[in-house]
Amino acid sequence: MPELPQNAPYMVAAYVVTAVILVGYAVSLWVRSR
Amino acid sequence: MTPLPSAGRVIRAGRLLTILGLLGMALVYVLALQFTPVEARQGMAQKIFYVHAPAAWGALIAFILVGVASILYLWLHDPRLDLFAEASAEVGLAFSAVMLTTGPIWGKPVWGTWWTWDARLTLTLFLFLLFLGYLTLRAAVREPVERARFSAVLGIMALVLVPFIHLSVYLFRTLHPQPILLKPSRPSLPPEMLRTLLTSMGVYTLLYLGFVTLRYGIGLRRAVALREADDA
Repeated sequence: MPELPQNAPYMVAAYVVTAVILVGYAVSLWVRSR
Repeated sequence: MTPLPSAGRVIRAGRLLTILGLLGMALVYVLALQFTPVEARQGMAQKIFYVHAPAAWGALIAFILVGVASILYLWLHDPRLDLFAEASAEVGLAFSAVMLTTGPIWGKPVWGTWWTWDARLTLTLFLFLLFLGYLTLRAAVREPVERARFSAVLGIMALVLVPFIHLSVYLFRTLHPQPILLKPSRPSLPPEMLRTLLTSMGVYTLLYLGFVTLRYGIGLRRAVALREADDA
């Protein structure tokens, strides 16, 4: 059976970037809505 | 003059939906990392798909609705449609930013390159820049009716690009994978992966609803304040 590619850091980076963009946008909306 | 709904109620509803959407996003992370198998050929990088594809879905909904609201605005001249289009365009840009950053992060380990100028990727970047221009145009024009009319025309022109982007993987030779869900045949994914993808798409739809409601409420409050200032 072929060995799994070792590329977990890319996945971690993508999940972190997604959270930063979406949570950051949510915070910006929250601040503007006060 | 069209009466505007209460901004306070819209903002409260938007906040609630946004909180639920963000909690849903945390649930998707747990589901993707703990309860979804690792794909044999792509390894862990394949799990980027559970945030990339739903972000593309969110951007697609957002930009289609900008176009639909723009058509309706030119027909009905209701300022609420213009406010909605503005809100949806901004939310679409946020989702596009996720799509355009997670795509290259997946591309590097799987394709061996961060970016390639093929049809799907290039057209998606154009759409992002088009909506950046849309919001810039809105910021530049001060007269509300003129701003709404100009931006509605741009919103409709951008709508034409959306189905073309979806079909670009069939029309051109492209590195980008073919659609897995939005196609005539059955979804081509094992059940556990499909469950995570569908959950994520549901969560991103909820997040879209939360963001767009909250942003619409902000625009509404500003429009009411401007109208009151004009009346005074």
